This record gives sequence, C-alpha cells and structure tokens, in this order.
Amino acid sequence: MSTTIETTERERIAFAAVELARHPERPRALQVISAITGGWTELRGDRLFGDDRAVVGGPARLGSRSVMVIGQEKGTDPMTRALHNFGMPHPEGYRKAVRLMRQAEKFSMPVLCLVDTPAAHAGIGAEERGQAWAIADALLCMLGLRTPTVSVVLSEGGSGGALALALADRVLALENAVYTVAPPETCAAILYRDAGQRARAAAALRPGVETAHRIGLVDELIPEPPPGAHAHAPLVIAAIRGAVIRNLDELCEIPIDELVAQRQRRYREAGG
Amino acid sequence: MDRADGVTSRRQAPRNRLQAPGPELRPTAPTTGTVACPRCKRRFVAERYAADLNVCSECGHHGFVGASQRIAQLADPNTAETLVVEVGDRDPLGFDDGVPYPQRVVRARERTGLHEAFLTARASLAGNPVVLACMDFEFLGGSLGSGAGEIFARACELAVAERRALVAVCTSGGARMQEGIASLAQMARCSAAVAEVIAARLPYISILGDPCFGGVTASFAVQSDVIIAEPGARIGFAGGRVIEQATHDKLPDGFQTAEFLLAHGMVDAVVERGRLRDTVGTLIRIYSGRA
Ligand SMILES: [Zn+2]
Repeated sequence: MSTTIETTERERIAFAAVELARHPERPRALQVISAITGGWTELRGDRLFGDDRAVVGGPARLGSRSVMVIGQEKGTDPMTRALHNFGMPHPEGYRKAVRLMRQAEKFSMPVLCLVDTPAAHAGIGAEERGQAWAIADALLCMLGLRTPTVSVVLSEGGSGGALALALADRVLALENAVYTVAPPETCAAILYRDAGQRARAAAALRPGVETAHRIGLVDELIPEPPPGAHAHAPLVIAAIRGAVIRNLDELCEIPIDELVAQRQRRYREAGG
Repeated sequence: MDRADGVTSRRQAPRNRLQAPGPELRPTAPTTGTVACPRCKRRFVAERYAADLNVCSECGHHGFVGASQRIAQLADPNTAETLVVEVGDRDPLGFDDGVPYPQRVVRARERTGLHEAFLTARASLAGNPVVLACMDFEFLGGSLGSGAGEIFARACELAVAERRALVAVCTSGGARMQEGIASLAQMARCSAAVAEVIAARLPYISILGDPCFGGVTASFAVQSDVIIAEPGARIGFAGGRVIEQATHDKLPDGFQTAEFLLAHGMVDAVVERGRLRDTVGTLIRIYSGRA
C-alpha cells in the first residue's frame, strides 16, 4: 500500500517538473533574442524547399560581438503557437539552421542556439523531406563548425530534435528545463504501450537537466528564482545574457583548431 | 594508450570462423526445420532459406538477418575477425519497469548470443579491407544504448587507425528508452566517431535494413558517403503508426519504404541482399582509387 502511494507521489512530482518546464509563460526564444541582442535581423528559408517558423534565426549584436542566433520558437498564444508549430521543426528548420551556421563560420561569428522543442515534428511531409537526414546533418555540422558555439536549453529539450541544435562548445540550461530522449508521452507509448502513463515515464526517465548535466550533455545550469522563470522572465533573461557572454569570452580565447578538437572529444565521450 | 588498443580481436580460431559460429556468432535464425516467409507464407527448409540470405525465393521478401549472419553474408569467407568490445553493464537511470533494465540486457544477451545490439568485425569485403559494424534488431529492438554506441564508435576508430573502409548495417527501433538521455547522447557520440572517419577521408557506406528509425536514422545511418537500402525496408525518423495517431493523416502507399525514399532522393540505391557484397565492394574499390 505505502509503496504504491510513494510511487504515485514520486510520479506526481516528476510530471509536475515536466509541466513546470512547459509553463506557457516561460521565456521563449524570440523574447530572449529581442531582449539580449541588438539589430537582430531575421533570415528566412532553407533555400531548398521552404521556411520553417519553428526555427528562427539571423545575425545580431550581442554585447561587443556579432553573433548568429538560432532559436526554436514555441509561440506565446494560440495563433503564434500554430504559426511556429509548437516549436516542432520540420527538416527545413534544421536545414535553415545549418545554412545560418555555415554563414556564421564564414564571417567568424560565434553561434548562439536557443533550444526549446518537445521534439522534431512527426508527419508525412517531414518524413518525405528527410527529417532524419536533416537532423543527422545538423549534428555533423555542429560537431565540425569552425567557430565558437553556445547552446541554451530554455525549457524543453526533446529528442534528436533538440540535440541537433545542442552540440555546442558550451551547453547551458535553465534550472527547471527538461532534456529528454523523447517527451514522456512518447516514452510511455513505447515503454508501456500507453501514452497515458506519462507520469510514470517521467519518473523513470529523470527528465531534469541535472541528468543531462551528469552525463555530459549540459555544462552549466542557470538558476531560476522560485517559483521559476515564468514568474521572473526579465531576471532570468538577464542571467542568460550574462552566462552566454561569459562563455563566449572564454571560448573566443581558444584557438579554433583546439576548440573543434575539444568539442569532438567531448561528444565522443558524452553519455559513455 | 590508444583507444583502438582496447579493441581486441579473435583471430581465426576455428570457433570464430563464420562457418562454425562461436558464442558471439550464433545465428539468430533457426538452422533446422522449416521457416515461413513472413509475406507470402511459403515454407522453406531453414538451411535453404539461410543459404538464400533470408530472402524468399518466391516473392523476394527480405527477412530479418542477425548481426553475426550479416557479417557472414558480407565478409569474404574466413576473413572476419569479430571484435570483442567489453562495454560492461550500464544502467544510467536505474531503470525498472517491472523487469530491471540490467536484467533485460542479460536476457537479450542470452537470447541472441550477442554482447550488445552492435557486432563489429575486421574483415575483407570483396577483397577490400573493411570494418563491419552490424546492428541486430533482436537485441532489444536494435536500440541505441550507450554500450551499442561505444561499440560503433570503437569500430569507427579502428577504421581510422587501420585505414579501412567502414560498412555499417543499420536496423533499429531507435533510442533505448531505458537509458533515457544517455541514449540520446549516443547520437552525438556516434556522429563524433563518424566525423573522424570523414576527416580521415575513408569511404563509409551504410546499409539500411528493415526497420530503421529514430536516432539511428537521424545520425550515423545517413552520415555515410553512400546510403543503400534493402528492398521493402521501412526507414524513417518517426514511425508510421506514431504519425497516423498524431496527425490523423492517411499515410501514402509505400510510405517510408526503401523505394519511397529512393523516389524522394533520400537513399542512393535499393539493392537486393544478394548483390550487397558486390555493390559495396565495387564502391569501395572506386573510392580507394583501385581498379
Ligand atoms: Zn515470400
């Protein structure tokens, strides 16, 4: 009896953490971009098929540097959520991201990725146009990119859809964000053949970013004042800005050959 | 110590010859009695079916092939040395869904005779020096756990150390959910290992078997120079059933099959199993600048 109650309580807490990460008022990518950068100019389209609004990007000034900012945007109200497909990118989103990263490399601009997606979009068009291929290419691109890179997991880092923008030299994460192999609903469908058991999956999967930190996918957690970033957006966004600039200051001191070698070694060992 | 030094090989001991499979090379398909083609239901003597590479001589259906059988099918006779990579027991989350995860791994090991979902070998393929990295769907659905990821990464490093072409046979349901985020990290690890093969300018050819999904397709399976799919293989990122449930869209005919992906420009060729060795061998020879 008591074990059942404890288990249920553990599952309730675990899923509450996922819900906190999904709080609609947490800072979103576009909000962060407009608050911490100047002159951000959005560039659109993958030059192959279309423009995916789940991924936004373009050059901007951040502190004393020019940077390329790429973010997964979930939207803030029903209309923008639909416009940005709830932050679930199609292949065009990843191909746009790769295009912008290559451009950043060309101009020796560091890249800042803002990660916020439940997962890459699952759909007929996404499959026809090579969702897996687009993600695999983004992974290789990030691993070999000859310019410093920083990623920030804002709220939800779900599946390969998040990883594709998160193989950076430094990966920061907001304290209450989650970073998972798949959303708890999907995990439950696979593990228990029942998406309804998402709380059980959440408890089993330890979705908090501290797990990602422990296995080497995340370097630094950015604290959130209680009850969380949704209640303190300006403070948290300022903390993101400070952390990103501090990390870029350090990364820009490292010779590029060494930086790329370090990055590849690091991801060769992550999760080992 | 060089990481490749951690990989030991078993050289030509009779029990490791592919004609006489040792413990790591036990074929998962039955070798006695009869087997039925999963598509047309025609029955074959097991030996004959295996000799036909698990391809139905009636309807052409390509059946499942275990990792050790794959190595036997692709390597030149008596050339494969399976690589013993001890990855130990891994359970990053302390996962238990009724059966503790380490116990599931033990059962999979007993059932398949494999250490993990990947079996790798140093071999000659149509006369070319290669490293073969073959996945086994029967080992926890060919899922990409940290042990499997390590074995693949070591195979890449061996290819670089010995200047061999890399040939991977990929068949997987995707991530190993029981390892959570550590499973996701394998996409990064395997990609980093492939990046070394690319930097060494060695040919990398991937063969996608049925089924191949999730983080395997979205990383090393398609980071190759040439992507070959087997006829009828189902390949993609998200599974068709997941898509149907999420979107309520009707899936087009042949959705996510090898032929569908060929038509959409996602794979280079659909090659029958019996022609794989020749096709891959020819490609490697050409890329290596040999006649
Ligand atoms: Zn048949």
